[in-house]
Amino acid sequence: MAKVDLTVEICGMSGDGTIAAGGILNEAMSKAGLSVLAFDSYPAEIRGFGRCVTLSRFGDEEMVALDDKIHVLISLDDKQSQSRVPFLAREAMVLFDNRPPSYVDAAASIAAHVEPDVRLFGMPFGDLAAAASGSTRGRNLTALGGFAALMGIPPEFFHGVIRKKFSGKGEKVLEANLKSFDAGHRFALDEFGTVEEGLGDFHGEREEEERILISGNEAISRGALDAGLELYFGYPITPATPIMEYLAKALPPRGGRLVQMEDEIASIGAVLGSFFAGKRAMTATSGPGLALMTELITHGVMSETPAVIIDAQRGGPATGLPTKTEQSDLHAAVFGGPGDSARIVIAPTNVLECYSYTLWSFQLAEKYQTPVIVLTDFFLNNRVENLRLPAVSEAERADWNVYPEEEVREKYLRYNLTESGISPRAIPGMEGFLFSATGLEHTERGTPDYSPENHMKMTEKRHRKILGALSDLPEPQEFSEGVSLDVGVIAWGSTFGSAMEAASAARKQGLKVGALKITSIFPYHADKIREFMNRCREVLIPELNYEGQLANLIGHLHGKDVVRLNRTPGMPIPASMILDKVESIIGHG
Amino acid sequence: MTEERFVVVGNGPAGHQAAMTLKERVPDADVTVISRHRGSAYRPHLLPDFVAGKIPEADLYVCPTDSYKEKDVRLRTGQKVVSLDLKERSVALDHKEIVRFTGLIIAAGGKPRIPETLFIFRELMLTLKTLEDAKLWREKLSRCDSVLMMGGDLTSFAVTNALLQLNKKVYFMLDKEAFWPLRCDKATLEEAGHRLFRRGVEVLMERRVKSMARVSSRECEVQLNGDRVRAGIIGAFFGLVPDVRFLVGSGLRIDRGILVDEYLNAGSAGVFATGDCAQIYHPEIRDYWVSIGHDNAVNLGRTSALNLLGECVKVEAARESIFEVQGIRINTSWWMEF
Amino acid sequence: MAKTIKYSTDPEDFYYMGVNVPCQAACPASTNIPAYIRALYEEGYDLSYEINRLANILPGVLGRICSRPCEDRCRHGEAELGHPVNICHIKRAAADLKQGLSRPEASPWTPLGKKVAVVGSGPAGLAAGYDLSTIGFDVTIFEALDEAGGMLRYGIPEFRLPRSVLNEEIDRILTGGADLRTGVRVGKDAAVEELLRDFDAVLLAAGCYKSIPLGVPGESLPGVHPGLEFMMSVCSNRPPAIGDRVLVIGAGFTAFDCARSAVRLGAGDVAICLRRTEEDLRVTKDEVLETKKEGINILSLMLSRRVLGSTRVEGVEFVRTSPGEVSPDGKRTIAAIEGSEFVLPADSVIVAAGQRPEPIEAGALKDAQGLAAADRDSFRTSLKGLYVAGDYLTGPSTVIESVGMGRRAAERIARDLTGKAFREKAVRMEEAEITDRKRTWDYLPREEMPAVQPVQERFRRLNVEVETGLTPERAKEESKRCYLCYLHYEIDVSRCIYCRYCIDVAPRDCIKLVKEVLTNEVGAVTGFVETTRWREVNAVVIDNSRCIRCGECMRVCPVNCISVTRVELTERPAEEGLSHD
Repeated sequence: MAKVDLTVEICGMSGDGTIAAGGILNEAMSKAGLSVLAFDSYPAEIRGFGRCVTLSRFGDEEMVALDDKIHVLISLDDKQSQSRVPFLAREAMVLFDNRPPSYVDAAASIAAHVEPDVRLFGMPFGDLAAAASGSTRGRNLTALGGFAALMGIPPEFFHGVIRKKFSGKGEKVLEANLKSFDAGHRFALDEFGTVEEGLGDFHGEREEEERILISGNEAISRGALDAGLELYFGYPITPATPIMEYLAKALPPRGGRLVQMEDEIASIGAVLGSFFAGKRAMTATSGPGLALMTELITHGVMSETPAVIIDAQRGGPATGLPTKTEQSDLHAAVFGGPGDSARIVIAPTNVLECYSYTLWSFQLAEKYQTPVIVLTDFFLNNRVENLRLPAVSEAERADWNVYPEEEVREKYLRYNLTESGISPRAIPGMEGFLFSATGLEHTERGTPDYSPENHMKMTEKRHRKILGALSDLPEPQEFSEGVSLDVGVIAWGSTFGSAMEAASAARKQGLKVGALKITSIFPYHADKIREFMNRCREVLIPELNYEGQLANLIGHLHGKDVVRLNRTPGMPIPASMILDKVESIIGHG
Repeated sequence: MTEERFVVVGNGPAGHQAAMTLKERVPDADVTVISRHRGSAYRPHLLPDFVAGKIPEADLYVCPTDSYKEKDVRLRTGQKVVSLDLKERSVALDHKEIVRFTGLIIAAGGKPRIPETLFIFRELMLTLKTLEDAKLWREKLSRCDSVLMMGGDLTSFAVTNALLQLNKKVYFMLDKEAFWPLRCDKATLEEAGHRLFRRGVEVLMERRVKSMARVSSRECEVQLNGDRVRAGIIGAFFGLVPDVRFLVGSGLRIDRGILVDEYLNAGSAGVFATGDCAQIYHPEIRDYWVSIGHDNAVNLGRTSALNLLGECVKVEAARESIFEVQGIRINTSWWMEF
Repeated sequence: MAKTIKYSTDPEDFYYMGVNVPCQAACPASTNIPAYIRALYEEGYDLSYEINRLANILPGVLGRICSRPCEDRCRHGEAELGHPVNICHIKRAAADLKQGLSRPEASPWTPLGKKVAVVGSGPAGLAAGYDLSTIGFDVTIFEALDEAGGMLRYGIPEFRLPRSVLNEEIDRILTGGADLRTGVRVGKDAAVEELLRDFDAVLLAAGCYKSIPLGVPGESLPGVHPGLEFMMSVCSNRPPAIGDRVLVIGAGFTAFDCARSAVRLGAGDVAICLRRTEEDLRVTKDEVLETKKEGINILSLMLSRRVLGSTRVEGVEFVRTSPGEVSPDGKRTIAAIEGSEFVLPADSVIVAAGQRPEPIEAGALKDAQGLAAADRDSFRTSLKGLYVAGDYLTGPSTVIESVGMGRRAAERIARDLTGKAFREKAVRMEEAEITDRKRTWDYLPREEMPAVQPVQERFRRLNVEVETGLTPERAKEESKRCYLCYLHYEIDVSRCIYCRYCIDVAPRDCIKLVKEVLTNEVGAVTGFVETTRWREVNAVVIDNSRCIRCGECMRVCPVNCISVTRVELTERPAEEGLSHD
């Protein structure tokens, strides 16, 4: 049975229904039993200008990264689709509308631009939709119907998804869409037949396996809700805004509240205030917003107050590239802000981890009485995967606050110097526990104090506390075979998926390559990382930033210089690029 | 640096050769070949051998698709030309794209002819012109033992050969329609029939088809006047008719094929027709003729390209040459007369 | 609530009709095609038949044998839209399916006390005779042959036009009041001068009954038949004997009728020999295909030089031709290629190379052919009261052209005799809603006319009608395909908000962003200057010459600023005292 690994792109002009079609495609393929990893890009304008592209990768194994080659391109607007032609794989399939309303020049025809090995499938999308339903509006579904026929995918999977999606819009609209889809399916079957066999037996999902399609942003939101989030304070910023939108709808029915604050400074202030008062709260922002939050984040460090901040990284610096992906806030998240202000920084690598790390971050924040920054990136926030969200145990939702014992009430020291560095925290309102919390350096009691020994002791305590979190933080995870490696690829965030795929491809070629996943950015597991690096002849760290920010952080653990692969194209690093670098490293070694 | 944009319609032996010749002579010209077949140029005269299983598919191809890019010839596959606008000097493709040219060579080839009297039985008959056809023949031959060949054109003898090598039972309905549009004389028909008979083929002469029907999933039955034949495949080999209906109304003169002079010029500056689709009036033969056969097509392809570039090469008029096809002597002038 | 109906005789409205309802404009009789197609869709077969009859008094006949100039212009046949509507076969369906007629047949007009003689009972004569008799003239139709119909009866074989259909329609025409006298050859049995004394006007519509010979040596050998005579014999049930190998030389309808009749008479090997190519034929493609299905070969690019044979025909010598450009009269020039002679054997040869009128002595000024010279627009000759129309005037044309000419000749005669026009053309405009045509109907495939299969069945008798007619269901399906070009869609510029949703849903380039509207000297819209620069746009305009009346723009317009009007070119009785020239 052939291994299924198919990348499908739908490209159109805004207004063509590209995104809707992509959504239906992803759902249908998920229902058909395949794994889905999908990512849309679209412009701000609603109609008429700008390219929409949906990119989906389907497979029978879990997909961890996007492919840089397209196997099937569905063109809903030939002018826009031309830019995708250089990414077509050999013998790729291109579906296009071969009956545009008027005659066109080569510039507006995709057939004029593809290589001769590309297989063209021209179908009159608009005419078929109009003939079946009376309107050309369903042409995006007609194209999907054609795709289903060519690939031998049973149309029932699509029918179910279409019904669900349009059931709220009335019988007429639903019928029109189903008819448009079927018209495309019928035409393609008659005209071309099923061209790609062996795409899987499409057993469909078994009920116990049922997966949902979920984006990174939605996963973060649900992780927070499942952690018992009751309060959200934030300010909209791309790419974190969907989190706010989701929670704005989801919180009130649960008895929670969402407040849009006047800016990010107020947002982090409110989160800190909330946690201070004992309630879990969260804010989500991007690079520019994180910068605004910096001072108050360090207040949380100094006053040892928990907070959960999601930083959805995007192209920077400054306003930067709001709709492009990047991993360049690591320095800011780990080191940003005045003073020695160590705090916990974690970075998920896929949508499931977006969920579980967000869920986790509340407990980490509470136990270690510190702001926790969860670093994601535009690609991760917006991409969609199909997965099963795990059931959450009580333990995972539990309150990890370390409360003080009854006995110490009379002589409660808020900032008690303990062995772990964690000082049991009273919540305001706990009877008898009087304390002050401040951003000024302070004594164990919390009163301001600037004396030399005190500051040195407190600074050391706070750092010891954070380092202690290593025992609760996920360790680096290795993906390799054998002990000694020619190249070890270390990556974080969404880049890790490409790294893992590249390492796996290299191993298939017989090269000794392994991958290491780092999700605890700070504190990091220095011993484990060093141990891995020692087994590698060379270490490669690919990341989506110019300075090599993770390399800067952990590179010193390697006996020699690490090899950096630093890129800022605004798009994910493809596995093939990492593989090429690995091969060139080995070639020169 | 030249502004020339040459377009060749068709990537068969004639079109392929025309494009290559144009590129050789004018390396920086823009040469585009538009073919409705997916894939690179292949040799149609080897299809009977492919059907017989004597050669693999890979051997049919003239060159890999990548080599067009290396030679800087733009090959557009799976795309069909549907009309020509002489005034605008452009062709329109099936997907409504306009392609402009400064020079045009039409090498659209021929398509298998089904006599109108047998039109209603079209669906039951198999022809052999394209690679897709050949694959269908192979697939069907794996499931049947007998073939009724109808007609008697050049391809039919090669296919009969292939069928005999595969040990299939062959019936051959040979009649005057076969050498369409020429009515051939009785003596030739009889000689052809005799030769086939000696190879073990059951020959049916001067029959008229009364009806044709599928009687089972594996067999069709043909009622002739006086006979009834059952066979797994019914093959139609009534010759090729130039595939040029799409040019009617364009301003080019069309009869059976595109009417051209002995230089293959179609009557409009910079527009030539070549290969099986050209109907040539040759002053030495003193009649119209359409070429057939692979080698002729290649030669005509080269000639049309040279003439498009300004040379004056006359098409060779092979006279009364007689050649042997599958042991049957055939006068080529038959194939050339109309 | 009554809808507003307006009539207009403005030249700009006539211009509009000529461009926007191309089928009607192409019809020499100006048949209101969309209206009769719509009537059939609504299953009003009688109404559909009547609408035809207003313009053409032989719908059942034309529904079978018309040359269909309308279909060549049908908008549905434009390049990317598919195939023309099967207009002719819908007409036949209306004729076949009608129950009775809705109009009384007796002449409703008071007799004028004037008499008109019509010479010839072919399509032109019948059309003129009917019109004149129904408005009160006392009409006598003189016919030289035994029965009325002219070429319809004697030139067109029964397998294309059943006699029952022809007879029924001729009978209906004669109930208009005209008196038919058969067996009277004007020019021999009666002189034109006599008629001019006894009648107030005489119309010569005698057709073309003189075969044009090839003019080659050997043409008079036994076994060579002039095509027209051959058909007349076949149609009179006295078919001549023919051999097995037959060559028919000619390219018109007569040639094809001869060839198809020859196979029915038993010839085994029949070929039609053309001087030009198949593409130059005026015969319909359907007919060419059926001809080939009947086993007839069509050979092209050959000019006959000599008929060979000693005591009877044995063959024909041809020379190859080279086709040239199409000349202004519509025919392609050909040149013989010397040295390319070849011979085809034959047992019989049928020469269908054209027909000419047989001159009738009339005492008027003659033209170069010896016929009474006449003006093509007014039909008048140099003699007062003497008129000429139909093939007799123009040479061989088509039946529908003759019908159109007959009607116009009747109008001319009526005006000359009474000083008044009795009817006039007008453009009728009525507010409409979008009809219940669905967009999906634009994709219906064309219904093809079923023909008798297997082909052998056609040859059992000479008069087996080959085309069997569309069933009511199929005719209705085909009628759905008509876009109903009589609908006029217009955007009210004063209410349009330039949102361009209409352009988004337009199926082709029919809605335009326009800088300027071009008009001609009568004020009719002739074109648009389009622009892609927003600042130059003055209006969003529906170009009705590209519009396929799908209604999508109306459905999507957010401000309902698109109106629909039904605009038809009709005739109505002229008001007293009006005369138009």
